Amino acid sequence: MESIFTNYEILCIALTAITAPFLAFILSLIFKKLASVFGLTSISISLVSSAILFFTVWQSQTFHFAFEWIKLANVSINIGILLNDLSVVMMLLVSFVALLVHIYSVEYIRKEALKYRYFSYLSLFCFAMLCVVIADNLFLLYAFWELVGFASYLLIGFWFTKRKAIQANKKAFIMNRVGDVGFLIGLMILLSQFHTLDIETLFGAKGIIHSSFVQNGVWVSPFSTMPDYWLSIAGFSFLIGAAGKSAQFPLHSWLPDAMQGPTAVSSLIHAATMVAAGVFLLLRVSPLFNELVLTSMASIGLFTAFMAATIALTQNDIKKVLAFSTISQLGFMVLAVGVGDNAAAIFHLSTHAFFKCLLFLAAGMVIHQLHHVKQYSSSKFDEQDMRNMGGLVKLMPVTATVFIIAALALSGLPFTSGYLSKDAILISVFEWAGAHGGVYWVFPVLISVTSWLTTFYIFRVIFKVFFGDFKLPFVLNKKLEDLHLNDPNQWMKIPAIILAVCCFAFVFALNPFSLNSTWLYQVFNLKPHSESLLHLFVPLYINVLSIVLIVAAYFIYAKNKIIFTNQKAWYYQLSYNQWYFYQLYDRKLVSLVLWKAKVSLWFDKKIIDGIVHSSAKGTLLVSKLTDWVDKYIIDGFVNGLASWVGSLSTWFKSMQSGKLQHYFVWMLFIFLSFMIYKVII
Amino acid sequence: MIPLIHFLLIGAVLFSLGLFAVITRKNAIQILMGIELMINASILNMVAFGKYDKVDNTGQIFGLFIIILAAAAVAVALVIIMNLFKRVQTVDPNQTKSLRG
Repeated sequence: MESIFTNYEILCIALTAITAPFLAFILSLIFKKLASVFGLTSISISLVSSAILFFTVWQSQTFHFAFEWIKLANVSINIGILLNDLSVVMMLLVSFVALLVHIYSVEYIRKEALKYRYFSYLSLFCFAMLCVVIADNLFLLYAFWELVGFASYLLIGFWFTKRKAIQANKKAFIMNRVGDVGFLIGLMILLSQFHTLDIETLFGAKGIIHSSFVQNGVWVSPFSTMPDYWLSIAGFSFLIGAAGKSAQFPLHSWLPDAMQGPTAVSSLIHAATMVAAGVFLLLRVSPLFNELVLTSMASIGLFTAFMAATIALTQNDIKKVLAFSTISQLGFMVLAVGVGDNAAAIFHLSTHAFFKCLLFLAAGMVIHQLHHVKQYSSSKFDEQDMRNMGGLVKLMPVTATVFIIAALALSGLPFTSGYLSKDAILISVFEWAGAHGGVYWVFPVLISVTSWLTTFYIFRVIFKVFFGDFKLPFVLNKKLEDLHLNDPNQWMKIPAIILAVCCFAFVFALNPFSLNSTWLYQVFNLKPHSESLLHLFVPLYINVLSIVLIVAAYFIYAKNKIIFTNQKAWYYQLSYNQWYFYQLYDRKLVSLVLWKAKVSLWFDKKIIDGIVHSSAKGTLLVSKLTDWVDKYIIDGFVNGLASWVGSLSTWFKSMQSGKLQHYFVWMLFIFLSFMIYKVII
Repeated sequence: MIPLIHFLLIGAVLFSLGLFAVITRKNAIQILMGIELMINASILNMVAFGKYDKVDNTGQIFGLFIIILAAAAVAVALVIIMNLFKRVQTVDPNQTKSLRG
């Protein structure tokens, strides 16, 4: 297909898409009153530009613009833009979700005094995220990767007067740094092996990664060679980088804390886009991974998915449940990359962006309205605690509907987008396990269990929040009518409804049961799935059991008819305490760091300060000695000379008596002396 | 014929007496008298040595010159002393300090 735009115009459009949010970031800080207008306008411009790029680039051509930025010896690093299928899909996704979240935020933070900051930071995030997506080399990607982390840090700490929020953003920042070190190491290995960081040159269809190979324990590339374990190390480094950003085990614990930020931020950054950047990175560098790294990646993804799903089962904070659900779903994506099905990862990333964003927005609506109730009734309760909720379906029907639609998509029930994407991953895992055999069958079994757990925990939330009895009136001792609880206004409802539409399968496929008719999946899928029984069998047994679980959850949480959990049992405590990772990290790791800090403090105080102090004392002694020498030797000499001159002058002065006859005598004396001298000589 | 040494001795005695007067006297006129004595001693020496120059009589001529000059100098000196006395009511040179730095 011939493009209607020239290359130059494409470049301009791409630059418009990324600079609009950046301009909004700066303008919002200057013109504070217009911050929300700038935010909305800029992201709309980005969305339009992204849409144009999408329809130009999608499945037709790839654009790559690069300008030399840094040149060091024979290595040059470009600043440039790479527009291929993956970038334009991500661009469209990011700008679309970001626009909806911007609209939602207008209402969500209407009452905040510092809302210009919010919109400015949000624009900064959009700028950085769009740049991550279209950066043409890994170095540039790394730079913007840091910037999204920074924007996330700013937004988590938006309510900077809350102590918890500050701790959470610090934690997020530090844990992300751990991952970033991994990323950086990976970059350095690639740079020294291939002498370039350009994504297209490295990993493209004719990329040099394909002409490198491992032979006799040596990793050979056209430019250099190194022992083969560096290939694994490079893979693991990128895996750690991605784990930091995408909250995978063992760097997952920042994401639940990040829920201290505004809910709209959680929905955009910590559910839909930024956390997906880790998966995006894995997709970008996926040709690099060898069998060992891929298997580890699959294991990490599997473990994270399973662990986070079990934790989500018992949390009482609605946002915490969604946070762990996000971690779990990101685990699915990492697993998909690990088993080599990149298309499924991209597809699940996109569908997840919609339904998880929607879940957060709907939860935000509940929290927002309950917050209003809290303010009007001037009472104290936790507006995020599900134990205060229940029966909201009657009061907030729109919120309940969109939440349920998103939950269905998350559970992967038929006619939803989640059905297609999650089953794509499950089928790939089954096929992968089938190819490897043996112990690899753990993967499909556990991931199926995780899938059921997902259904169970999300419907637990639904039944606790939207069904059963509303507990808040009992908590507050007030009548239901006095609380004035209803759906929020259009600013919040419309984005949620648009996202709810996007949760349905027809957005992605004409036939909601056929993965092969899914446009987003097929473009990236390199090896078509064989039409095996799996395509019938996997969705069937997952969904049948899911429906059973939904019914069970209804009776447990909505009707309170079955009580089967013992809150003192070890498995409940394990889940409730989030597998004790907090305790492990906070007590062991943090106390280790604190201990190290104390040791270095002691070292600093005793050794370094000791050296400094004793050297100071030595200097003092030397200075005293010098002082003495100065005072008595140097000054003594000078003063002595001066007093000698003084006395001499006093003596000479005595000659100048002013008496005429004295002068005459002196004259005579000198004359006679001269004469005598002349006579004697 | 009086030998030369006698002239010289008298000249030396006169000079010494003049010198003594100049150094020790507190009166400007006495100092002036001392100076006159010293001048006369030198004239005596000139005249005494003049006997060795019988052709030009340089010694005698010089002596005459000096007498005239001394008379002029005494006149000037006396005027100075008188003015000094008018101004400060004393003729002790040790008391006149107004030009002292």
